[in-house]
Amino acid sequence: MTRAWSWFFSVVALATLAFLVGIFVWQSVPVWQHEGASYVTGAKWFFREKEFGALPMIYGSVVVSIVALVLAAPLGVGAAVFTAEYLPRGPRLAVKVLIELLAGVPSVVYGLLGILLLRDWIYALFAPFDLLSGDTLLTAAVLLAVMILPTIVTLSDDALRAVPAAQRRAARALGLTRAEAILHIALPQARRGLSAALLLAMGRAVGETIAVFLVVGRQDNNLPERLLSLRPLLESGQTLTSKLGSSETNIGYGDPLHWAAIVGLGLILLVLTGALTVLGASVRRTSHA
Amino acid sequence: MKNAFLFAAALALSALAACAAPLKINGSTTVNLPVAEAAEILRAEQQMDIQVDTQGGSAGGISMLGDGLVQVGMSSKPVSAEDRARYPAVQIQETHIGEDAVALIVSKDVWGGGVKALTKGQIKDIYEGRITNWKDVGGKPQRVAFFNKEPGRGTWEVFVHWVYGSPKAAPQVSFPEVGGNEETRNKVAGTRGALSQLSASWADGKKVFALGIQMDDGTIVAPTNENIATKKYPLSRPLFILTKGEPAGAAKTLIDFLLSDRGQELVKKHGYLRLKDLQ
Repeated sequence: MTRAWSWFFSVVALATLAFLVGIFVWQSVPVWQHEGASYVTGAKWFFREKEFGALPMIYGSVVVSIVALVLAAPLGVGAAVFTAEYLPRGPRLAVKVLIELLAGVPSVVYGLLGILLLRDWIYALFAPFDLLSGDTLLTAAVLLAVMILPTIVTLSDDALRAVPAAQRRAARALGLTRAEAILHIALPQARRGLSAALLLAMGRAVGETIAVFLVVGRQDNNLPERLLSLRPLLESGQTLTSKLGSSETNIGYGDPLHWAAIVGLGLILLVLTGALTVLGASVRRTSHA
Repeated sequence: MKNAFLFAAALALSALAACAAPLKINGSTTVNLPVAEAAEILRAEQQMDIQVDTQGGSAGGISMLGDGLVQVGMSSKPVSAEDRARYPAVQIQETHIGEDAVALIVSKDVWGGGVKALTKGQIKDIYEGRITNWKDVGGKPQRVAFFNKEPGRGTWEVFVHWVYGSPKAAPQVSFPEVGGNEETRNKVAGTRGALSQLSASWADGKKVFALGIQMDDGTIVAPTNENIATKKYPLSRPLFILTKGEPAGAAKTLIDFLLSDRGQELVKKHGYLRLKDLQ
């Protein structure tokens, strides 16, 4: 009986997902017909001229998330080492609950904090670089780093706790210091769980909308000539989510092609976050096998 | 293709209508100011159930009215023939409740640096990226940080109508975009060398400053009430309440209130011109 029900609900969940993806694909057909592959590779988005290239937004989403991860990963994993390896059980749980509470703060609150503090800080801090305004890809990335930090800490903490205590005792018995045991035994053994934590956190960063929307500047077509240069981080940009949150969703609704282009962005976003989540989940699963 | 969505939306709406039937309003943040306050009064005095929202600005108001998601739209631009063609089944009726002017606002450093007015040609050059420094228009050396109102906003439409004749004729540009009036004002106030379009009523003269327009004959016209009423100031726009056909029921109550002396005082309170100021 239980088995039948679990099958039933699995099928319902899968069907919902398939239905969702199906609608996104179906609704975005006109733009694929109109642009072909240049919908993904094109660098210009001018909707009144029926030109739809999503590359600058894909660039924005990817760059903002990667920078957020680079900023948050050392902090998050470091904090997890502290909670998992150094704190006794009581304080550890208290800290963990507090950090998980942070993960539940609505993103618009982070966005407002970003407007209140972060934008002005970045604007003042990087003044020598002659910023045009405080709305930059970097501002969004720093804000996202704060937002994904709790995810990284709590998942990394779980991963480290999953390393058997016997391993640590054996390491200590062999004369390793506590730091060496963490560095050479616990962290390497937890690496799959740690990678999963980072991938899932990045999935969250890519999908985050409102906080990014408020501080990224929403400037279309700002694709830098050199993709790896750091200077563009100090300019305004557009991410997939900030575009989807803009007034264009309302404008596009009446026009099949424009609407398809908007839905297409949703599809790209779905694929990106979906891939990161599936990757993260599968890495995590094999870690316990 | 969007029929399925419309159908679902209509279903949801009729289900809602069956139990409570609030008067739903959506549209321009500019028109929203007096309307939201009128709604507040009507809720208290006549126990009316009114929901006011500003998703997507005027364009959002028109499309949500057209799709039947709201009963009343708010728009700070006339409904174009194109918009009407999108919703052939809906007879959109405009009710004029006041007038607003669009100001070109700058941050304190630009105003203090000596830029008090621009010509249409200079504004065009800035919009098309030929002028990127304030020193080229009589100011101190500082890059122009132009925040463009996002498309669909009434403010943006008034601006491009004046500069280019129609939104279609406006060149496609990619500047950082701003949405509502509050966001625009705060961003301009907090950024050196900033310029943007904003409802004149929001230009407080403390944090952000409204530029005058230098006409062809050299005179400078500031967005004062008098200049707007006499149409001397070229960047102004009407405030409309939109309904499907003749307003009826709760929508009519709201519109009658907005047109009454009390309602018109609300229009004035938020910095717009009353209908009688325009005569």
